[in-house]
Amino acid sequence: MSSRVSPQDVLNALRAVKDPDLGRDIVTLGFIKELEVGDSRVSFALQLTTPACPVRDQLVAQARAAVAALGVAKVDVRLAAPAPAHAQSRTLIPQVKYSIAVASGKGGVGKSTVAANLAVALHRAGATVGLMDTDVYGPSVPILMGGSDAPYVVEGKIEPPVAYGIKIISMAYFLPKDEAVIWRGPMLHKTIQQFLGDVRWGELDYLIMDLPPGTGDIQLSLSQSIPLTGAVIVSTPQDLALSVASKAIAMFQKLNVPILGIVENMSYYLCPKCGNREDIFGHGGAREAAKKLNFAFLGEIPLDLSIREQSDAGKPVALDDSTIYGKAFQEVAGTLAAQVMIRNFDKAEDISIE
Amino acid sequence: MPPTPTKIKLAAGNNTLAIHWSDGHESAYPYRYLRGKCPCATCDEAAPVPEQAVGGLPILGQKPLHPERAELVGRYALQIYWSDGHASGIYAFPYLRALCPCPECTAMREVAEPRG
Repeated sequence: MSSRVSPQDVLNALRAVKDPDLGRDIVTLGFIKELEVGDSRVSFALQLTTPACPVRDQLVAQARAAVAALGVAKVDVRLAAPAPAHAQSRTLIPQVKYSIAVASGKGGVGKSTVAANLAVALHRAGATVGLMDTDVYGPSVPILMGGSDAPYVVEGKIEPPVAYGIKIISMAYFLPKDEAVIWRGPMLHKTIQQFLGDVRWGELDYLIMDLPPGTGDIQLSLSQSIPLTGAVIVSTPQDLALSVASKAIAMFQKLNVPILGIVENMSYYLCPKCGNREDIFGHGGAREAAKKLNFAFLGEIPLDLSIREQSDAGKPVALDDSTIYGKAFQEVAGTLAAQVMIRNFDKAEDISIE
Repeated sequence: MPPTPTKIKLAAGNNTLAIHWSDGHESAYPYRYLRGKCPCATCDEAAPVPEQAVGGLPILGQKPLHPERAELVGRYALQIYWSDGHASGIYAFPYLRALCPCPECTAMREVAEPRG
């Protein structure tokens, strides 16, 4: 074919490519940018709403194929940096696109492990990520992330240490080891505000916040200080864990914080020697609850000795996605990224005040 | 999902604050009424809002009560900074909606709690 295709031809061809999560084609969704049509070459950028989009590669391949089918010799598709969301623009963290709280009803469900590994998995999928450990009473994130660096202050702002490509802040950095935090509300609120506003987070796609268990001052402080993009609830399969988790869910609903999904941690145990699987805490309880409550189910993380060993050694299992555990976190991260995208796409994020 | 504000106008005319809600409803709150409904712990529903500073000394050149600015609190409330210095009220959206003084909302409240 010697006649040039027109930009309109290209766009029409691209309408055949649909985002499976948003249910609409990528032209209608406004993902196609900087379209250039040359004699035998078409180039454009695909601007998704999140870099950790799980179907990113699939969409690129489909877009390329759709244009190539028109007879174009050379099709250049590149990924453009996602457009910034506006929800946070008037807040303490204007350079953070999405803020996600990781919460649980009760303690001991592995919330911090999930938060840290989720951050790592999102980063490995291509996002810039920060990790805020708001569990002032039992800050465990620095241990999980193997951090030995300390934060330092430059021109009144705290420069966070970086581990595995992720910026981290935690109360643990500011307390002498083994010292307890015995604080009342206003001190906690001040700490949260400082973690948000005084830390030099830089441009982040995701700020993952590890919350303390339950529903208390810190949860409230966070929900008041910024418009949280959403919350992820971590639960074990046991019913008991869930009925306590439902308190945390109710709290977020009251504060108008979307529940992005439920993660079932310690979902089952795989014997490393014989491969036998035991559902020690029961299985599937969280998935069923998510279905009943109409929340997204983000995935199952198995109970494993290596998760604990790696955690103690400061090497999050999500670093290695060739293992079952690494893959599990990778899937949870992908599902979470899709949920964030779905939730935030259609909303008129800004409540304007004039 | 319960309705949330999409647009808030601090000076909507006639000394009112206007809210345009996500379900299409429009509310207009007279300043003194809204200030009087401050939900903070130090406000007493029974006591009226003083016309001038406590102490009885007239403040010359003071503009009448109005909201100087307002800020969103998380995703669920509005914090109003009033010209009389009072700013501790956090008005949750459901609370604001329940306060809407329009005839339609008032009628619905009357049905729910009819006055004798």
